[in-house]
Amino acid sequence: MTSIKLNNVSLVYRLFEKLTLSAPGRRRSALGGNIARSGTKQVVQALDDVSFELKAGDRLGLVGPNGAGKTTLLKVLYGIYQPSAGTVSIAGKVDALFNISIGFRPEATGRRNIVLRGLISGWTLAEIEEKVEEIIDFSELGDFIDLPFKAYSQGMAARLAFAAATALEPEILLMDEWIGAGDASFQEKAKRRMDELAEKAGIIVLASHDDALIQRVCTKRMVLRNGRVESLT
Amino acid sequence: MIAALNGAFDDISKAVRLHRVWVALAHEDIGDQHRRTTLGPLWMLVNYFAFVGTFVFVFVTKDASDPSYIAYVAIGMLVWFYLTETITMSVSLFQREASFIQGTTLPLFVYVMRLTMQCIIRAGYSLAGCVLILLLGSYGINSNWLMSLLGLLLIILATPALVTVFAFLGAFFPDSEFIVGNMMRVGMFFTPVFWVYSGQQGIQKYAYHWNPFTYFLESVREPITAGIFPMHALAVTGYFCLGLWALALLLLGLYRKRIVFLI
Repeated sequence: MTSIKLNNVSLVYRLFEKLTLSAPGRRRSALGGNIARSGTKQVVQALDDVSFELKAGDRLGLVGPNGAGKTTLLKVLYGIYQPSAGTVSIAGKVDALFNISIGFRPEATGRRNIVLRGLISGWTLAEIEEKVEEIIDFSELGDFIDLPFKAYSQGMAARLAFAAATALEPEILLMDEWIGAGDASFQEKAKRRMDELAEKAGIIVLASHDDALIQRVCTKRMVLRNGRVESLT
Repeated sequence: MIAALNGAFDDISKAVRLHRVWVALAHEDIGDQHRRTTLGPLWMLVNYFAFVGTFVFVFVTKDASDPSYIAYVAIGMLVWFYLTETITMSVSLFQREASFIQGTTLPLFVYVMRLTMQCIIRAGYSLAGCVLILLLGSYGINSNWLMSLLGLLLIILATPALVTVFAFLGAFFPDSEFIVGNMMRVGMFFTPVFWVYSGQQGIQKYAYHWNPFTYFLESVREPITAGIFPMHALAVTGYFCLGLWALALLLLGLYRKRIVFLI
């Protein structure tokens, strides 16, 4: 059963003072916001005692000002960041869309990029082969699919990225902001696919500053501020 | 310590399972570097010939026509180019891969293997040039080449460890990119790449005996140019290889999860 459960998750990381030949006064970041001092070290409290639970079919929208911890929370869920306290329990296959261009090479064609993106996401060659045409159809790139990725507009790149990320129907899909990049018809199409994913007992977590997008797509809304959960409705 | 080593082995085994990723990306890297050029990756072969030809022509007087000296430089350049390229590119590896490291859950060793693969492919072109020079220089293929191959294999085995160590150095100490780059440029003159050591005293003696690169070079070169089994060079290279791997495993185990916060 697909689920996400976070219990008192905190993420505190030390700002490493890189060994450098520059003057000592220029090495440290200014204190403030979530940056504090612990002894002689500077630390960032990126998440603070975050707890929530999502079950199959939930679509959670993360909102909050810049630096609130939205992207950090997504990266904890994806496994890029290890929490420094608390537990994260995830059941289900996770895929993420943090940045349109990740895994896409500017010089390679769209078709080749689908293969590379698939390999990076851990797909087998058979799975890639099976899904290539479907991804091309969904992205509506037509003949552009055999042109280099660098020739694509932002909207075309977003369509290809979204089509590739959702093609293998991840049980948990994490998305950071970018979905607003496509045109209105693409956003409508993306919403339909997200509905389908959620209906197939999936979970979607979407971070955005766009309240209208969150309301349109999500069934739950979490407000984060300074790494803490302010509200979950 | 045991937990760190387990973590490192876990990262490596995951990366090995994802071999299709780093092999594909390394090929793309090579392709991108030479896209839209007429000769494509063959430029690497041209570069190699140009360097070997220049050193043979400029730095040699009476030995210039000596096939053994040409072979000496050809093999020396092959190994030196490989080592210098691997090391200088390793120092900035994690910075170059920052968007991947911060946006995917690929094991860190995937990036190490991607660069290793890329360096091996590039060296393949130089190797083709080197073999051609040796054959033209009347060094027919014989059993000595197998001994030489042993040295090459040892260097290739050391490469992922070398990449890991220098990549962590670059992540913790960004200035090292320029320091290492300059040291490798100067290092060529302190390594018997194109000069021959024949018992001289002074700086050449120390540069020959106390320079680890000497042994990397000699383990490949001695079997062909001197016709001997390079026991001493292989032993020293082997010890370096073990030391590098021990350090690489430790760094990978202790810091692989922290790199994402550092780049």
